[in-house]
Amino acid sequence: MVLVGGYVTWWLHQSAGMPLVISIFGGLVTGALISWFTFEVFIRPFYKLHRFLPIVTTIALSMILDGLILLGFGSRPRSILPGSKEMMTVAGARISVEQMVMIALTILALVGFAYVLHSTALGRKIRAVVQNDHAAMSLGIPALLLHRLIFILSGVLAACGGIYMGIDTNLTPTVAFSITIKAYAAIIAGGRGNFWGAIFFAYIISLIEQLLVGVHWFGAFYVPAGFQQTVALIFIIILLIIKPAGLFAHSSRTA
Amino acid sequence: MTQFILHILAHVFIFIPVLLGYNLVFGRGKILHFGQSAITLVASYTLWVCFMQYNVPFLVSVFLAFVFVTAASLLLSWLSLRLEPDGLGVMSIALHLAVLAVILNWQSVTRGALGIPRIPRPEFMADLPTFTLVVGVVGIAWILVIWLINRSSFGRALEALAEHPWHAGALGISRGRIHSIAFVIAGIGGLVSNIFFPMYLHLLSPSDYHFPAMIFIVMVVIAGGPGRVWGVVTAAFFLIFLKEGIRFVRLPAEIIGPVQLIMFGAILFVAVWIRRKSVFPPQREV
Repeated sequence: MVLVGGYVTWWLHQSAGMPLVISIFGGLVTGALISWFTFEVFIRPFYKLHRFLPIVTTIALSMILDGLILLGFGSRPRSILPGSKEMMTVAGARISVEQMVMIALTILALVGFAYVLHSTALGRKIRAVVQNDHAAMSLGIPALLLHRLIFILSGVLAACGGIYMGIDTNLTPTVAFSITIKAYAAIIAGGRGNFWGAIFFAYIISLIEQLLVGVHWFGAFYVPAGFQQTVALIFIIILLIIKPAGLFAHSSRTA
Repeated sequence: MTQFILHILAHVFIFIPVLLGYNLVFGRGKILHFGQSAITLVASYTLWVCFMQYNVPFLVSVFLAFVFVTAASLLLSWLSLRLEPDGLGVMSIALHLAVLAVILNWQSVTRGALGIPRIPRPEFMADLPTFTLVVGVVGIAWILVIWLINRSSFGRALEALAEHPWHAGALGISRGRIHSIAFVIAGIGGLVSNIFFPMYLHLLSPSDYHFPAMIFIVMVVIAGGPGRVWGVVTAAFFLIFLKEGIRFVRLPAEIIGPVQLIMFGAILFVAVWIRRKSVFPPQREV
């Protein structure tokens, strides 16, 4: 969905010549539609048989989508906003206007999600379905509808990530795979179902990746940029060996 | 045509040890892991870096590769005991990415993306028919070994753990021991395949070990029927014929890669659909 959102936005803006806002909207809507299709075809028929089957079917889907994107857009890097960005200095750090807007929008989205999840009836229903969908259904909560809604929302957020990436740097068909793995690693390390744990570890993984390169370690050596991802992933693997359920795991309720 | 048939046969027999090794863990043991390519990478790079870059004698290189592959297999086995199944699935992919990144970036030792060229074949199997015969004998021997393992008390213990870990434990089956042995057998399968694969190509290239290569292994196991020895062998023949045959379709080079991705993604999906009740079967009621 990261690639779908990013590439559709790129195509609408750069090839079809549409304004950026409409292109972003197009990318998000396409992300939502493809997520819905994915849920109905690749998730729902398999999830009820075994909860691990969708892992394999979605890997199959990602191969198909990767192939289609390679055929449609080629393997060249694509940038939604090519050219140099306008830089600003904030507290000694150089940051582009686009990056500041993206950070602000992400914080807004997080606050919105936190409010919906923790302070509304819909959020309580979602959390009930996550904890025990059968018990939730017996209380009249439409679990299937909420599963579908959560999945489509996650697709929209993933598309949003692709759009950010396409605006900030560029998109290539191979970039999404490692992002998916790192995202899943952050979710597991943060403790499944723990919204804040996943955000914390997403930040930690990025921080390790960025801190690692460019620092003259012990005044003796630099870590080559190619090892960025390896060190972050090995850190998560070691953490999970020590805390298999994740750092902020809480035991789920059983009916 | 004869050359093409020999090429397909050589490919199938080269890949049978790694496929049947993975089938033991994923198919028979129902352990959701995608780290077989990571183990295979450790095996092939230890062997060929020692032999080609540091002139270590071949048999010593094979022994060192065996030691490293056993260590990597035991690490994955340990992870399988510690993590939730989906966590193991994802972290085994992470391990694969990490190993691949090290190989691509540790250029002074591995030569990075260039790989290790001019890997020799022993003189007695320098020509394709003899090479195919040798890998055929090794492949058939490996099929028999796995077939016997599946029918041994170890195979039954692995199956029992896949069906009911708690009940199997109550019968005295040690999950740690059985998983460790299964992962080490799969690792040795990877090593055996990678003694011959770089020899066949005269090249050890990291591009042959990217994630689509892992998905190909998963696809063959699911299409052949998880846990079934002859099913996986048959699926290997069919899918390797398809994979190699597509190279002869008159398509531009830049289209063949994406078409392969789409084709194998679709085959994997159809295979899971057909085998949806046997990939991860529901627990039997006791």
